[in-house]
Amino acid sequence: MRITSLALALLVTGAAVAGAEDLHGTIQLVTKGGKNAATESDVTQAVVYFEPAGGAPPRRAEAPFEMVTRQKQFLPRVLAVPRGARVRFPNQDPILHNVFSVSPGNFFDLGLYNQGPGKEQKLDKPGLVRVFCNVHHSMVAYILVLDTPYYTQPGPDGRFSLTGLPKGPGRLTIWHEQADPWTASLTLPQAQQGPSASPSGSITARVEVVRPRIPPHLNKSGQSYFHSGRDSYQQP
Amino acid sequence: MRRTRRWCGCLVAALCMTSPLWAQDQAQDQPAASADEAGAAGGKPQLKWGLEAKMNYRRSEDNKFPVPFPFTPDQLPVGQTKGFEETVNAGSHIELSGVSLFLDGVWSESLKAHLKLDFISLYERNPTSTGTQTNVDEAWIQFGREGGHALLATHSGIYVRVGKMGKFERQNDRHLESYGLVSTAFNRIEDVGVEAGADLGQHFYVKGSYTSGNPVFMRDPNALAGDNGTPEEVQPLLPHPDPKLKTGVVILYDARVQDIDQKHPQTGLALGWRTADIEGRNGIDIMAWGRERKMAQDGTIQGSAYGTDIDLLNGPLDAFSFAIKNDRKREAGGNLWLYLGGFSFFAQYVDQDLAGLPRTGLEAEASWSFDLPLVWSLGGQQLFPTLAPAVRYSMLDNKFRNPPVTPSPSFSWDWTKIDAGLRLGIVGATDLTVEYANNDFILASGAHRNNNEYLATLHWRM
Repeated sequence: MRITSLALALLVTGAAVAGAEDLHGTIQLVTKGGKNAATESDVTQAVVYFEPAGGAPPRRAEAPFEMVTRQKQFLPRVLAVPRGARVRFPNQDPILHNVFSVSPGNFFDLGLYNQGPGKEQKLDKPGLVRVFCNVHHSMVAYILVLDTPYYTQPGPDGRFSLTGLPKGPGRLTIWHEQADPWTASLTLPQAQQGPSASPSGSITARVEVVRPRIPPHLNKSGQSYFHSGRDSYQQP
Repeated sequence: MRRTRRWCGCLVAALCMTSPLWAQDQAQDQPAASADEAGAAGGKPQLKWGLEAKMNYRRSEDNKFPVPFPFTPDQLPVGQTKGFEETVNAGSHIELSGVSLFLDGVWSESLKAHLKLDFISLYERNPTSTGTQTNVDEAWIQFGREGGHALLATHSGIYVRVGKMGKFERQNDRHLESYGLVSTAFNRIEDVGVEAGADLGQHFYVKGSYTSGNPVFMRDPNALAGDNGTPEEVQPLLPHPDPKLKTGVVILYDARVQDIDQKHPQTGLALGWRTADIEGRNGIDIMAWGRERKMAQDGTIQGSAYGTDIDLLNGPLDAFSFAIKNDRKREAGGNLWLYLGGFSFFAQYVDQDLAGLPRTGLEAEASWSFDLPLVWSLGGQQLFPTLAPAVRYSMLDNKFRNPPVTPSPSFSWDWTKIDAGLRLGIVGATDLTVEYANNDFILASGAHRNNNEYLATLHWRM
């Protein structure tokens, strides 16, 4: 996971702790160079998580999480789950989908399946799981398998709150599919400090959008989606 | 010298477009083993078969163009005083135009075979209605891996393909059912022999071929070939021939291979450069190529009494010859493939010398494929998944003249064809293509004439 430069990727204008173990902030997505707001990117697809330096108590994964396929899209598009969670992929479209991932440690291929409750996959290795459909190139989703129970996603205004955090040092990460991950080391409770302190006591993060919404990817066999079937003389 | 500099400039510009720009920071997990590798691991070949059928509605204009040839009254239909080149089958027609069987075997990434049998192929008849109907359209076995056009090769490698196959310069992803003038005239029909090639790194490739060579014959560039020289038309015991299918307004073209001709082999060579992004969504490929062979003096073609190659150019009874100078057939050309998301563009330029008769051709096709929203489905597949408008421009510039007397004056007419259409995906591999072909040619008198056609083709494949 790359840690971006504060100067380039995120400007912390203030850091504070509303309660002893609470952290509040706002994420602003900006275009490359930071001059304009990235209005075409969805800030609600970001994930904010805190990893205490001393480790975090494991969060029990109970009922399976769900990521449905509907109108040739994954919903939700971004899902944060604890390590060991099960994720079910119900198909709500009347057409066949083939959900797969080739992300290291979390490889799976659910095969073609029709409308219905779908299939389930257990995700054991922490990290980013890129999820695709082998039939439809535009179907893209992300699952963050986290080793911490302290995570959340911001609202449409970019605001987020992490509550019930343990005291002491740790690392705060903001992840967005179109940006490089930003991380910062914090010690909770954290006093207002330095020139970036905000009187309101909240974090304002300006995150640069640097990638397209649909990342370049191949199908589950490592072949291009686009050239199969281009040749009218060959079988599809 | 100036031309050399220009080429060098193009090459440098092309090299500048390689990896740093196109293959930048593409976060990509490692894919699973490919299907080919999976097949190899199992030790058993993956066998796949398929069927393809095409049905079309066609409406062809009814046009006739008098030919300056002294046919005897017996050689003409009753009441006709002169011969014509005329639309093959004018009017509105519904036809089952193609039925084909496919069989593919994949033993590994480095060993695969392909067979395509045509049971009905109206558009590629040979080239008369009395020619062979059932035809082995393609039958080849390939050793090694061939990189795709406008796709990065994963590594250097070679391949050898043996059998009957499409030519390497042929457009491999047409978006209309009709053909352009260049694709018909030069490389529409398969050839028999050996093709070999090598990927030299990710971007450069070379190809070569040694094949039987397609005989030069004539056909109409619209959907149907004409009945030129069918027994009905030339049988002396049957006066006043009036075949159902007419001559067509014909151009010279490379017809279907008749047999494995070892006396007049064709050699081909191509050099290419390509680059693409990692997923093959955007890519470009340029290829320079050439072909050469010695033409047969007295070639024959099944289903026609007319000869091929030099015999055809010598005219009836060898008495009305074009100004041929030798027996060599040479072609040099360049191809361009460009893919930008759903947009695709293909262009080909050909410079040909046909026994001393020079001609050039240019063809370009652009298409844009749109994904349509999911509204209806059938059998687990989306109904109407894609829509793809396409337009094609093609031209033939014949730089030779007709003999004063010839039954086929259209050989030398300069010609422009514009095809425009729309392909609608229906479900799975079934689609409907609706298109219009505008043929504009210039007669020897300088007058422009047209011979146009509507075509709607329902294409089904399983």
